Amino acid sequence: MTTMLLELADVRFRYPDGSVGLDACSLAIERGSRNALVGANGSGKTTLFQHANGLLRPQAGTVRYAGEALDYSRGGLRELRSKVGLVFQNPDHQLFSASVQEDVSFGPINLGLDEATVRRRVSDALASVGMLDCANKAVHNLSFGQKKRVCIAGVLAMEPELLILDEPMAGLDHAMRVELTAVLDGLQARGITLLLATHDIDFAYRWADRIHVMIAGRCSASLSCDELEDHHNALSEAGLPLPTVMTLHRQMVAQGVLPQMTMPRSHAELLDQLATREDQHRKQETPCH
Amino acid sequence: MFIEQCAYVNRWRPVSPAAKGLFALCGFVAAFAARQPVAGLVTTGLIFIVTLAGAGIRLVPYVRVALPALAFLAISCLSLAFSLNPGSDGQGLALQATPAGLYQVAEVGARSLGALAALLFLVMTTPLIDLIALLRRLKTPELLLELMVLCYRMLFVFSAAVHDTLTAQSARLGYATPRLALRSLGGLTANLTLQIWQRAHDLHVAAQARNNDGPLRFLEPRFTNVRRDVALAAVGGVVLIALTLVWPA
Repeated sequence: MTTMLLELADVRFRYPDGSVGLDACSLAIERGSRNALVGANGSGKTTLFQHANGLLRPQAGTVRYAGEALDYSRGGLRELRSKVGLVFQNPDHQLFSASVQEDVSFGPINLGLDEATVRRRVSDALASVGMLDCANKAVHNLSFGQKKRVCIAGVLAMEPELLILDEPMAGLDHAMRVELTAVLDGLQARGITLLLATHDIDFAYRWADRIHVMIAGRCSASLSCDELEDHHNALSEAGLPLPTVMTLHRQMVAQGVLPQMTMPRSHAELLDQLATREDQHRKQETPCH
Repeated sequence: MFIEQCAYVNRWRPVSPAAKGLFALCGFVAAFAARQPVAGLVTTGLIFIVTLAGAGIRLVPYVRVALPALAFLAISCLSLAFSLNPGSDGQGLALQATPAGLYQVAEVGARSLGALAALLFLVMTTPLIDLIALLRRLKTPELLLELMVLCYRMLFVFSAAVHDTLTAQSARLGYATPRLALRSLGGLTANLTLQIWQRAHDLHVAAQARNNDGPLRFLEPRFTNVRRDVALAAVGGVVLIALTLVWPA
């Protein structure tokens, strides 16, 4: 079994109005990994996602899933969409059923599953995003964050291997972001491969295994987070800054506050390093008896 | 919105929509079977009491929901009560109310009130999602149900879109003068037309992404004690009908 779940090779796509969606875009997503897609607005992130789900078909190049080129027949797309779940950026563009439970059941019913299985999947999906209590609520009575979670549940109920989320953190407050991150961690622990688009480079650096940079319809770099420090140009070309924790750590090392050590992934890790350093200082300064 | 709020928070929310539908249907039958205006009014009163005391619907939202329908009924009754006839001297026209006409008004008005009370009982105790599920079980054509689901959902999406656009226009003095208001309303209409087209396209893409290739199918909600609820509703409904039928003429 190939370790690459999704691969795009030299994919080109142009919209009917002439604007470039993807331009010789190549990218690979490893099975079981967490991936963040970063890039400016209009750089082709959503277009790429729609290619992964078979909603758009490349005008040139190939999209492969689990090593096989995509089959765009009715049956082929049906199989692909049962494995690749896509959560849209705006929940109101995805939710069209009246109640939460109904909307989450939409995908599994489309898969042709029996009622008992659909009920189990709906219940499991709602539980995994913490929305089981709202199963019988009307969609329009939910908050924006709750709607986002219902959108994720609607796709999770189809039990995808690859879950794609288009800017899942957009419009969420801090508490909701923390909750959603916990949900994503739980999904990855279940073996689901995750690919999400974000403008928050700090979040991408903290959360992802790999960061893919999109510029003008092309994936200009795919870097593991450890490589990011040495390839910061890849981010600056896309108009993105370095993660603040990385900049802070560099400054602290330059000023001798911290020794040269592993780059922290989050501010919490940086604070831990500072605390450890302070402890070491204190021990050195305490006279021996 | 009042209907929505009541439908979700009333005491009979967990009661089977089949039972509530049956009771409302019996209410309709009782209202139309009423041979005396008083019998129609008694039916109205009983359904009203069941809605307020049984389901726990508050009086203020109930009256506010009923008011437009009551106003419409009042206008209709007035046009029934009075008629334009040639004047007694053979010249001009005179507005006349005859005893027969007034009795007809009382009869039609009482029946309509009964039907209105039955309808309000159903919609204020049952969310539309439950009603749609009930209609699905009653083998209503799928196309009609899909339209209902989409219209219901879109109602809230578009009311939000209208609210946002109106706010944005008002913030830039879009409704400062009648002329500007007219212009802004035109802009709002044009904007909504585009938004409707865009939203319809987005929903289609979202449905495709979840493997939809035909009818919109959903899981139906489950209710406990359906048989007991339906039996109680049937008893209540039969009592209503019997009462109007045995009412002395």
